[in-house]
Amino acid sequence: MRKPSIPKRPLELAFFVLARLVVAGAAALILVPLAFMLSASFMPASDIVSIPYRWIPDGLRWKNYLQALAGNDGSWLYARNVLNSLVVAGAVAATTVAISASVGYGFAKFRFRGRNLAFMAVMATMMIPFETVMVPLYLVVVRLGFQDSYLGLILPFMASAFGVFLMRQYLLGFPDDIVDAARIDGCSEWRIFRSIVLPSIGPASATLAVLAFRQQWDNLLWPLLVVQREEMKTIPAYIVKFAAEKSADEGAMMAVAVIASLPVFILFITLSKYFLGGSAVFAAGKE
Amino acid sequence: MKRASGMEGKRARWGWVFVAPGLLFFSLFSWYPIVNAFVTSFTNRKLISLKAPKFVGLQNYVRVLSSEDFWNSARATAVFAVGAFVPLLLLSLLFAALIVSLRGWKRPAQMALYSPAVLSSVVAALIWLVVFDPRGLANQGLNALFGTPGVDRRWLADATMAQVSTIVVYVWKYVGYFTILFVTGMGKIPDAVNEAALIDGAGPFRRFFSITLPLIRPTTVLVSVMILIQCMKTFSTQYLFVQSGAPTGPIEVMTLAIYNTAMRDLAIGRASAMSMLLFAVMLLLSWLQLRASRGGEDAL
Repeated sequence: MRKPSIPKRPLELAFFVLARLVVAGAAALILVPLAFMLSASFMPASDIVSIPYRWIPDGLRWKNYLQALAGNDGSWLYARNVLNSLVVAGAVAATTVAISASVGYGFAKFRFRGRNLAFMAVMATMMIPFETVMVPLYLVVVRLGFQDSYLGLILPFMASAFGVFLMRQYLLGFPDDIVDAARIDGCSEWRIFRSIVLPSIGPASATLAVLAFRQQWDNLLWPLLVVQREEMKTIPAYIVKFAAEKSADEGAMMAVAVIASLPVFILFITLSKYFLGGSAVFAAGKE
Repeated sequence: MKRASGMEGKRARWGWVFVAPGLLFFSLFSWYPIVNAFVTSFTNRKLISLKAPKFVGLQNYVRVLSSEDFWNSARATAVFAVGAFVPLLLLSLLFAALIVSLRGWKRPAQMALYSPAVLSSVVAALIWLVVFDPRGLANQGLNALFGTPGVDRRWLADATMAQVSTIVVYVWKYVGYFTILFVTGMGKIPDAVNEAALIDGAGPFRRFFSITLPLIRPTTVLVSVMILIQCMKTFSTQYLFVQSGAPTGPIEVMTLAIYNTAMRDLAIGRASAMSMLLFAVMLLLSWLQLRASRGGEDAL
């Protein structure tokens, strides 16, 4: 793309300047609450509500982070809850990629009777909002005895219809010749999938993994239903409880927020192209 | 020939092997629960009860549709969805059009606008909970802007303001996300079209309204429906605000009402009926989305 020169027509010049000002202003405005979170996380509560607000903390008050992790009652549950979130979101990301890749491969590269019907049946589930099935799902998990367990938290999200769609689209472009050549060489179907197909779907896997991880990192509704024991809670449920406690200190609340945001921000900065890619479009359905 | 068809059969079986885990999963965790929710919505099932649920016909629906609480939730959801939809759509269109015109600095601008979307909804709500403190940043900022020192706008205490507050959090969190979708859509417009218009003397507004807007129409339709559907599922912000002391009534959106009906009132049958009604509305919107996206797939 060639570099744009500064426009000469007055209207174009005005637009050129205005566009930059508005974007810069909007970006700044959007970043203010994030900057506030970071700055307030190092302040005593009295400074956070001081008028006017002083953005630079007097010193780095790590005590807030200690209180965030230790909790108002010194139980250190938050550390455990962060770990739970990592385990659940990580496991969901892994299984979603694995199952979606397998199913997408089956739909993309094999012909069998009932294939189109099966594919439609999977795609149609994208229309079912989680909110309408959460109660029956909860009853299933109760019946299986998976309340208060990682399995209960992970099970309903192990695969995604969007993931199947993404993998199938991606694999439709995968050359048949390579698969056929491997077959002629006597490769088993399973080995073809594991050693040839799986290693070649990197970008689609990364997109899907990032999406799945973030969705579970964000998930509040489901853990509220299936988890009662404090030590099995994930971050969002912990945050609600922490913020609602009378003794909660604003500084510690912001420290809780920073800790909860760090892993996803690290993902975002290192993998920003998978966040900003257009293929994430269809996945917006799940909150 | 016989051997060839045997090979075909063997390969077809492998196709089933690869899709089987998915079919099992979606039957168990999507199809079974939706059918179950539908059936349960016609019974008097309770969460904790030894009695077998009884078929009660349309009783749940009648009771739900004639209860004030349900219509309050419907109103809360509609207010929230429309209140967030308008600014989200207009702002994301505006930001996208401006970002596309930037060329340089495109990526940092997109990352800055997108960054709140990375946060958990609960974290976003938590930050704003402190910002909305009577002595917090929100009051300070507006008071500095309007020169009204000391005014408290009661962000989380007043019924109307609590609704505004949840909308502010949501717009802040998602405007960057929808901006990216529009940037993607606008990126598909060939440079040559805009250059030709420029040479013909079309100004920036003319180019936006006569070229960009008509060409991204499928994206606009798709994004509009996505915003609406997503807004109808909002839960975390309202839940956190209510738990932290905001008035429940004004912001008890449908998802929150379903959760409360199932987990607090233990009325699974009634909660299922509410779920099915929410589902019906969303299905209608999804259907519109599907129709819209038929022309829109190339646009994204």
